[in-house]
Amino acid sequence: MSSGEPPLSVEAARRAAQAVLDTPGADGVEVLVSASAAGVTRFANSQIIQNIARKEVRAYVRVAVGDRVASAGTNQLDAEHMGSAATRALEAVRATRGDADWPGFARPDKDGRAEPVGRWDAATAAASPARRAEAVSQILRASDSNNAAGIYETSSYAFGVFSSAGIDCFDAYTRCAIACLVDNGESTGWGDSSSHAMGEVDVEAAAHRAAEKAEASKSPHSAAPGTYEVVLEPAATGAIIEYLSYAGFGAKQVLEHESFLARHTGEEVGAPSVSILDDVWHPQSVGIGFDFEGVPRKRVAVIERGRATGPVSDLRTARQMGVEATGHGSGSNELGPFAANVVLEAGDKSLEELIGGVSRGFLVTRFHYVNILDRPATLLTGMTRDGTFAVTDGAITGAVHNFRFAQNVLSALASVQGVGRDLVSLAPEYGGFGSTVAPALHLGEFDFVSTTSH
Amino acid sequence: MTSAIGMNELLAAALDAAMSSGASYADVRGVEIRAESLGVKGPAVESLERFDSLGFGVRALVDGAWGYACSAELDAAEAVSTARVAVEIARASATVMTAPIELVPEPVHRDSWMGPTEHDPFAVTLEDKLELLTSATAGMQVSPKIRTTRATMDLLSQTTWFVSSEGSSIDQSFVQSAAGIEAVAVDGSEVQQRSYPGSFRGHFASGGYEVIAEMDLVANAEQTAEEAVALLTAPLCPQTVTSVVLDGHQTMLQVHESVGHPTELDRVLGMEAAFAGTSFVGIPDLGSLRYGSEVVNINSDATISGGLGSYGYDDEGVAAQRVDLVKGGILVGFQTSRETAAKIGAQRSNGTMRAEGWENFPLIRMPNVNLLPGSGSFEDLLADVDDGIYMATNKSWSIDDKRLNFQFGCEVAWEIKHGKLRRMLKDPRYTGITPVFWGYCDAIAGPEEWKVWGTPNCGKGQPGQTMRVGHGTSPARFRNVSTGVSS
Repeated sequence: MSSGEPPLSVEAARRAAQAVLDTPGADGVEVLVSASAAGVTRFANSQIIQNIARKEVRAYVRVAVGDRVASAGTNQLDAEHMGSAATRALEAVRATRGDADWPGFARPDKDGRAEPVGRWDAATAAASPARRAEAVSQILRASDSNNAAGIYETSSYAFGVFSSAGIDCFDAYTRCAIACLVDNGESTGWGDSSSHAMGEVDVEAAAHRAAEKAEASKSPHSAAPGTYEVVLEPAATGAIIEYLSYAGFGAKQVLEHESFLARHTGEEVGAPSVSILDDVWHPQSVGIGFDFEGVPRKRVAVIERGRATGPVSDLRTARQMGVEATGHGSGSNELGPFAANVVLEAGDKSLEELIGGVSRGFLVTRFHYVNILDRPATLLTGMTRDGTFAVTDGAITGAVHNFRFAQNVLSALASVQGVGRDLVSLAPEYGGFGSTVAPALHLGEFDFVSTTSH
Repeated sequence: MTSAIGMNELLAAALDAAMSSGASYADVRGVEIRAESLGVKGPAVESLERFDSLGFGVRALVDGAWGYACSAELDAAEAVSTARVAVEIARASATVMTAPIELVPEPVHRDSWMGPTEHDPFAVTLEDKLELLTSATAGMQVSPKIRTTRATMDLLSQTTWFVSSEGSSIDQSFVQSAAGIEAVAVDGSEVQQRSYPGSFRGHFASGGYEVIAEMDLVANAEQTAEEAVALLTAPLCPQTVTSVVLDGHQTMLQVHESVGHPTELDRVLGMEAAFAGTSFVGIPDLGSLRYGSEVVNINSDATISGGLGSYGYDDEGVAAQRVDLVKGGILVGFQTSRETAAKIGAQRSNGTMRAEGWENFPLIRMPNVNLLPGSGSFEDLLADVDDGIYMATNKSWSIDDKRLNFQFGCEVAWEIKHGKLRRMLKDPRYTGITPVFWGYCDAIAGPEEWKVWGTPNCGKGQPGQTMRVGHGTSPARFRNVSTGVSS
């Protein structure tokens, strides 16, 4: 079904863009082209329930006349539809108003020329439905369960940005991801794995882990809510830092005083062992080498050895802050710049050593439905799920019912007692753009505010 | 733009190819979407985006298993190729199967359906739309403490063509319109926000520009901003157990998360276990589980006008229906599909399968899940509260994987003392366990307070799909609620 080639060639993307780069009446035109070919096989109750091949392309034509800017998009890349999109964008430009903060389109001489990251694996891109079904069979055999659920995904993505100002960049990546939940009727367990290359995804290990977690989670007891030490496994750590990023890593949130960075840049906000970056160039990151304005994506330390060091930016917010853009344009002025490849740097401890350091607390496999309660305060809430265990004097003593947490993330990071040495690449929860790379963490304080009956 | 005839020919070619390739059942859906989004921040236009999308998807049942493939290339050869891919995928699915999929019967429908629209929002000039939004943001500049003002407008027009191997041929179209305003006030480290008519880009409904005109954004701008400023110095919502009255917007969220999702039959059957989660409700609970107090009546109704879940047919060609989910506080129904209805021995699907665009496989999605009105006014709800809290406008939400333990937050609250609203309170939050919480619902305001709200961002499925769903609610009162829960 797929040759292992990107879902859109650089030539096709450039051809689509070139049809409108000289649009009469426009002072400048920029075209963002994206394409994906997703193969996602979902299973539940130990059989395949949904199985899809989704291929799509999109092109967004952004037109500027002076300092007035608007965009229009289409999912048809032929010259007629591209021209229609340009015309609609131009109509919108004429209706809109001047933008005092308009930074202009990116320019290669000023903003740099992007290089591809190249997270491409032809075997992943070429994986057939039969190959995915075989992987699900492997997962189900390894889970040794008649009630396993999850996904096996092999997808490919391509992005290009082209402009009348000379931007011409293209990159593509693949992603293979497995998620497996085992439900033994009394309790559940979880295992997952993700990489740009299917050869690096051990489906059986993830399924075994889910089965072992489910078994270990049997006969849970209720524990009292309170403030405890916790060890977060990488999936749980990943959820926390993803939401911290969403809550405040972008320069727009800083400018609007909604980010913790607005008040704490330059201050100690975490333990010295905590360094959080946006780094698409990390070997376990999955992404592209430029942002949606065509600016090279830089490695940005947001928290460096515990000290808050600054946000990621796009051209607009960089101009407003008087700094150089870091290449994190999201394509949306409303959203602003976005850190799509968050990495929490590794420490030196194994998971067993982190658990061994806990006097009285809990081990959390992962979280469910995390959300922001107070953005500037970095206050998050969410539930534990699929394996929460009591730890006493460095040893797991049994499973507990799930907790709800309400936690100021900066306080949690300030209490870090240890950082895991093994980094895990995590696919975005909702199948979106980018990746998160996270280790396990031992936190000295974590607030559980209520519990549930499972 | 593609004509209906051209699309119908394309769908027929795909359907023929799927069936001749070995499908026992197939349906093909073509979808055309036109969207426009405007955002104003202060006096400036922050975003002005338009997007058009057109494509089709083929769902094939082969050897008792599903396959789905889609494409935006609109020619006959691609239609045939895409259908064959769907069949190939279904054959692969069938190799990992414990029980073949069966579908409950549905009458054959050949019909056209169109949602009511009085005033085409795409015919309104961009200049007029921007003038409305900038007038609203100007009206929110009531204090130097107002740091950010925003006004947004979102317009959507969608046409769907559906054909099935059973002979159904349906086309339907609708327009949905939305707008809202938001003021953010800042004082030192304190940041507070108020929105109107609702948070997260305002109020969404089926209909044309009349939906936006009715909101009267400009007239409500000043009060919205003044409340944001007032929140900066308001006391914190106390941590206590008390009577709580929720406004219609927060009641919408409460219904959505703690009734809408747990009564989706795919969740009940474990089909969403690994991602969105399951449900605390089981099949044996039907007809016996006490979900709430006797005043709690909740239905799923795609037939009402004006909701984001108002349609003629769902995305597997089942006619829109009204179904009771909770009656007199007892669980009496689920939201179903043709596949899941068969699993519980139901005679017919109640028509809740929808997909985001042409790219996605249909899933059970709430249409309009409504808390039916009780009686009396909002003031009547307050009158019977000696000491309590009134919370308004959803701000945050989180609920566990079985939809039991939830924590929700609102933008603003007021003390209720002796039946009257008193001091404003900031950062109101409350927590509960679903059937316990609904069990303490003792009053729901009447039809005059009832409104169909819309939420455009309900996430479900893998790959993730975002669905627009509606909820008719009026303010409601709950006793013994834990409030102010925070770290």
